[in-house]
Amino acid sequence: MASVTGTSACMTSLSCSFKQTQGRISSVNSVSLSINGKSFPSLRMRSAPRFRVSCAAKPETVDKVCQIVKKQLALPADTTVTGESKFAALGADSLDTVEIVMGLEEEFGISVEEESAQTISTVQDAADLIEKLIETKSA
Amino acid sequence: MFSFVSKRLSLMMMTKVCCFQRNFSSALPPLVPVKLPSKMETHFWYVLPDEVKSESLLSQYSELLSPREKKNLYHMQGDQFKKSALLARVLVRTTIARYQTNCQVNPRSLKFKKTIYGKPEVDWENGDKWCPPPLHFNISHTSSLVACGVTVNVPIGIDVEEKQRRLKNKILAFAKRYFSPDEVKLLTAISDPEIQRQELIKLWTLKEAYVKAVGRGFSAAPFNTFTIRARVVKMGGFHHFDTQHSEASEIVVESSDDPENLTRNWQFALLDLAGSHYAAICIEKENSAGGEAGVPMRLTVWKTIPFVEDERVSGTGAVVPISGLIKQL
Repeated sequence: MASVTGTSACMTSLSCSFKQTQGRISSVNSVSLSINGKSFPSLRMRSAPRFRVSCAAKPETVDKVCQIVKKQLALPADTTVTGESKFAALGADSLDTVEIVMGLEEEFGISVEEESAQTISTVQDAADLIEKLIETKSA
Repeated sequence: MFSFVSKRLSLMMMTKVCCFQRNFSSALPPLVPVKLPSKMETHFWYVLPDEVKSESLLSQYSELLSPREKKNLYHMQGDQFKKSALLARVLVRTTIARYQTNCQVNPRSLKFKKTIYGKPEVDWENGDKWCPPPLHFNISHTSSLVACGVTVNVPIGIDVEEKQRRLKNKILAFAKRYFSPDEVKLLTAISDPEIQRQELIKLWTLKEAYVKAVGRGFSAAPFNTFTIRARVVKMGGFHHFDTQHSEASEIVVESSDDPENLTRNWQFALLDLAGSHYAAICIEKENSAGGEAGVPMRLTVWKTIPFVEDERVSGTGAVVPISGLIKQL
C-alpha cells in the first residue's frame, strides 16, 4: 500500500493490525497474508521491496525521515526513498549518517544515543526509533 | 608420526589446489605481487574512479565480486556512488590477493566476514587456507577516491574525505553535537570559516580512522569521549621525518574514559591526498610498553587501477603530509 505525498514517493509499512501474520516474508514479488485467522491469496506486488511486517512508525514520520535523508544526500527528486531503503545503499557515508541523525534530532526534538544510532540501517529503523524516543520522552 | 605425515600431505595438496588457480580470468592479466609490509610499515592503496573509464574493465571488475556483493551493488542508487562502491570491493580484493607470496590467490575467491563488533576482516577458513598472512586492512571511499590501508600484525583504520566537503549543518553546531569539549574549543577559536570547515573535516577523518582502527564500532568510542590533537615534538635529527623543520607534529588521542592512557598505543598520519582528499591513517603501535615517542609511521602509497597499472606515489606531490610523524618510503 503506497501513499504518495507531494513529489516524493514514500511507501508506508503495514500497520499494527497485521501483527498477527507469520514472521518475515521471503519472496520478493508475492506476499501472502493471514489476517485474523483468515488467509488471503497471494498479492502480487509489481516491484515491491520486501515488506517488514512490524508495528511500525506513522506514515508521516517515515515521510519526514525520507525528506531529511533526501535533503542530506542531495538525491535527485525522482529517487525513490522508502522505509526499506538502506542508508548505505543510498550513498550515505558515516558523515552523512551523523548529519542525518542530527537533522532528525532537530526535527523531532529528540536525542539519539550512539548505541541506538548504530543499529539504524534503513529509513524504517530511523522512523521506528524516533517514535520510540518521542514516546519515551512524553511518558 | 602418522599425523605429521598426513598433515604434510594435505598441506602439499592444498598448496597445489591454491596454486592451480592462476588463470582466474583469462581476460585479466595477473596482479603485480607485492611484499607484505613489515612491522610499523603501512601500505596505502587508492583508486581514482574518474581514471577508470573502460566499461569492459568495470564489467570484468564486477565478475570478481561475491554474489552478496553483487546484490548489494545492484541495490545502490546513483551511478557515481555505485562505481566507487564497486571499486572499493575490487580494491580490497585485489590488494589482499597481491600479498600472497607462496601461491597466487584468486581475488574472487577471497571471503570476508565481520568481527562481533562489525569490523570487516578476511575469512581465511573457507578460502585459501594455507596461505594466510597476518594482514590487517581497512577501506574507505568517497565518490571520487577509493582507498585501502594494509598493515601486518597491528590493526589499522583509515578514512578519506573530500577536502571540499561541506556540511549541511552549521560547523560549530555539528562539533558541539559530536566532538569533545576540547575539540570544540579549538574549532571555535578559528575565526576564518573556511579554515574552520577544513579543520573540522580533518578532525573528522582522524576520529573516524581511530574508531575504525579500534574496531569496536561507533558506540564503543563515542566521538565526544576522546580528543585528538596535534602535539609538537622537538626532534634532534633534521632528516628523520618528511618535514624539514626541527619540530614535527605528532597526533595524539586522549580519552576521557580512559585514565590508563591506553590511547598512547595509537599512531596517526594525516595526508593531503591527490590534491583532493584528506586521508587519515591510524595504526596500533606494535610494542606499547612505554610507547616510544617520536617513531614515525613508515608509509608507502600506491595509486592503482587494478590489473592495469600501479604507481608508487609516496614522496611525490600526490601525498603531502599534513601532520603526524610520517616517513614516506
